[in-house]
Amino acid sequence: MKEYILLMVSAALVNNVILARFLGLCSFMGVTTRIDTAVGMGMATTFVITVSSMADWAVQAYLLEPYHLGYLRTVTFILVIAAAVQFTELTVKKVSPPLFQMLGIYLPLITTNCAVLGVALLLVEGNMSFIAATLFAFASSIGYSLVMVIFAGLRERLALADVPRLFAGPPIGFIVAGLLALAFMGFSGMSTN
Amino acid sequence: MTATEENRMDFSAPAMVEGIAHVVAVEGSVAWLEPEQTTSCGRCASSSACGAKGIGTTASRLEARRFSLDNQAGLAVGERVVVGIRENALVKASLTAYAIPLTTALISGAMAQWAEGRDGITMAAMFGGLLLGLGLARLSASRLSTRGELAPRFLRRADTASVCHPVTLNMPKAEK
Repeated sequence: MKEYILLMVSAALVNNVILARFLGLCSFMGVTTRIDTAVGMGMATTFVITVSSMADWAVQAYLLEPYHLGYLRTVTFILVIAAAVQFTELTVKKVSPPLFQMLGIYLPLITTNCAVLGVALLLVEGNMSFIAATLFAFASSIGYSLVMVIFAGLRERLALADVPRLFAGPPIGFIVAGLLALAFMGFSGMSTN
Repeated sequence: MTATEENRMDFSAPAMVEGIAHVVAVEGSVAWLEPEQTTSCGRCASSSACGAKGIGTTASRLEARRFSLDNQAGLAVGERVVVGIRENALVKASLTAYAIPLTTALISGAMAQWAEGRDGITMAAMFGGLLLGLGLARLSASRLSTRGELAPRFLRRADTASVCHPVTLNMPKAEK
């Protein structure tokens, strides 16, 4: 039990997908202009990362490894991720059309989010069991969502601040992202204790 | 600072998420609208410099997101209007669609792992939990729909200078 908790804390905070591994930076800068869009994107990405990681683990364990097809891993995982996004889109549409009208806009963007592929490749490299791989993917995506929401909150306040003209918009956003990454570096001390 | 300004500076106040939609059809007292926003970043005004502009912009995708409103304002086909939903509605919708299925899948997977400890059984239990969660999400979504919490509301007609999804906190710039 303790090892799973440590694995999740490590994936979410210490080795954060965005601020430590620098994955998913496109959505990090593009979808964080408002908190509500960040929440929508974060939740959708959490679902897709977890589901696609479960499928990727199964594909790796039952197809690629036994038949020595490791060289096809990246291509296969991209296919699995695209299928997972389609599955999610169809499922949300079937479960509730009003929910799909509200949340469907985020789903196509996730297909091209490198964080999804990055997490899948990391868990395969880690040689984890199925439950550990799923918890690792879930915690990684929770860390992703957490950073998205924090950064969106900061940017909403930045939009109201009197920023010098040269720094207004993305430049001050990048500076704040750097400071946020420095703050998250504080969690790396936890791994040595 | 006036009372209105104080109210505007209150970050905890429930805000509306605004977006622009086109009226595409009017059937009696019901108007059908399609959202103008074509990317999740909400910056259609800067679409010429946007890398995400090719994603999700097809007519079929917009048609799939078509929604209806009571046409009390007498809207006509082709009009641009500002519609809104409460900010917490998006969070509730996200939790319903994604958090419920994920929670049931993880709980059932963890229980199977604790009971059996074999990957195949854990995987099957997680898949079963996911299906159960989707069923629960469907029930929860229909309850939210019945209460009207997921329905967008007509706010006002959009002027020609309006861009989709501006920063709509309606707060003044910080004083120098």
